Amino acid sequence: MKSRRSGSSGVVRSPLETGSQSQAKRDALPSVAGGRLQTYDPAGDNVRRFLELLAGRLTRPLTVSLTACVHCGLCAESCHYFLARPDDPTMTPVWKADQIRKVFKRHIDWTGRILPWWVKAGSVHDDEDLNRLKNIVFGSCSACRRCTYNCPMGVDTGLLVRFTRGLLTELGVVPEGVFNVSRDQWETGNQMAVSEQDYLETLEWMRDEVRAELGDDKVDIPIDRPDCDILYTINPREIKFDPRPIAQAAKIFHVAGESWTLPRWGWDQTNFGLFSGDDRLGAWVARNVYEAAERLRAKRIVISECGHGYRSTRWEGYTWAGFDQRVPTESVVVTLKRHLDQGRISVDPSRNAEGVTFHDSCNIARSGDLVEEPRDVLRRVCSDFREMTPNRRENYCCTGGGGLLSMAEYRPLRLEVAKIKAEQLRATGAKYVCTMCHNCIDGLNDVIKHYKLPMKVVQVLELVSKALVLPEKGGRG
Amino acid sequence: MPFIEIEGRRIEINEEGFLARPEEWTEETARLLAKAEEGLDDLTESHWAVVKFIRDYYLEKNLAPMVRKMCQATGFTLTQIYDLFPSGPAKGACKVAGLPKPDGCV
Repeated sequence: MKSRRSGSSGVVRSPLETGSQSQAKRDALPSVAGGRLQTYDPAGDNVRRFLELLAGRLTRPLTVSLTACVHCGLCAESCHYFLARPDDPTMTPVWKADQIRKVFKRHIDWTGRILPWWVKAGSVHDDEDLNRLKNIVFGSCSACRRCTYNCPMGVDTGLLVRFTRGLLTELGVVPEGVFNVSRDQWETGNQMAVSEQDYLETLEWMRDEVRAELGDDKVDIPIDRPDCDILYTINPREIKFDPRPIAQAAKIFHVAGESWTLPRWGWDQTNFGLFSGDDRLGAWVARNVYEAAERLRAKRIVISECGHGYRSTRWEGYTWAGFDQRVPTESVVVTLKRHLDQGRISVDPSRNAEGVTFHDSCNIARSGDLVEEPRDVLRRVCSDFREMTPNRRENYCCTGGGGLLSMAEYRPLRLEVAKIKAEQLRATGAKYVCTMCHNCIDGLNDVIKHYKLPMKVVQVLELVSKALVLPEKGGRG
Repeated sequence: MPFIEIEGRRIEINEEGFLARPEEWTEETARLLAKAEEGLDDLTESHWAVVKFIRDYYLEKNLAPMVRKMCQATGFTLTQIYDLFPSGPAKGACKVAGLPKPDGCV
């Protein structure tokens, strides 16, 4: 493959593609016309606006991360980009963060305003500089926050990357894929532009599949049923391309006697605002879910297996939306654990006899603090569970995080640095790698295909569903 | 732009392995993509049924069909679609049918 990179730096030199932005303007999409989705204006005063936004959006945590770095280099060793390209300083988290840090120093911090050469302050001068920044914060970081976790000074480079992405998103200086997914989520309420009819038909289809599998017409996938214990929210990928996890959840919920429903609106728990850095998109999407739970008086919001959706809906969304958390929110894996703990489902681990290893998603383990629950479930439904090394909060990214799966232009670099992940996976000798994230499924599948690993990706729901012992006919269910 | 070269033919694809210019698709292209991207040496009648449905749907609506529609139109179950195209409906079947990469978490 021909590379767009040159010199010794791995940073991809990808121009700003504005084809779909222009189309969105021509179509006068409500999100564009209403000013919610920003497009690039080549005649705009973009550098000045960038600097104003930077100054206006600084918070205390950001300022700490901008000023506390002592350039010790520990972050470098924690980053799979640098580990895979050890002679390339532009792959270190500190270098990536310094590209925004130097602008902060030049324009905000007193040391840089008085002695810019002393503190290596610098600025952005034209739109080409902004585009270069785009290629760094979107293209050479999966925002996995492994460096953040390993920083002795508490510098949150992931936060700085997201902050910078947000400034660029405000100016339309974004990869085309990020624009497209944000557009679809703004326009349709879900990131894959699934229509309500398609949503409802797919749920009916899955209901019929489970009914046929269990030979039980009482199986249901309820929509908008009020006063349920669980409001189940999913990833649009489950509707559009792979609805098997919906059927697996419906089957297990049925056997467990769960009281549950999906909402007609507010069902997309994913949130591209996390990746684009756009807090307004983040707020709107998360609020749709929270309001669905209140409207239906659900006792709990349950999030299907999705990493960034978990972090967005369970943690960040409440802040973005300014929404008081009145209904508890959990991952479906926690729900499954409860079913097992309470004896509401029984499982036979011998049905998953081949080696299974677990890949912690960045947004679930490091940024979501959900670490032991999936292991607890996997040990009960698999007979050969093995950890990969490193694991838990120290696990390496699937390499497709931070929205990178939707940015094709950065894929060659992503797959090059994926050799760290490939070696880690290969060393387990496991036949299956389990992950509780749709993004990780595709990220890991890319790694497996590229590095020709003899492995398959599975999810927790799939393994539990396979191990599920169905009650005798005439019993419960 | 990267390309794949099979049996002396060069086909431009994007970094994800999807056809650079979806309008350039031919049945021969599908065979080459299937071999290069899905490891399928031969496309059976069942493969063609799925591919042709996706292609027609895309040309009519400028959109990748939902997997529900693929199953309805071809009569295959979800499992059968995954058996036919190991990378699944999006990265497998849609790619062979010459569609651009679908947006989102895929």
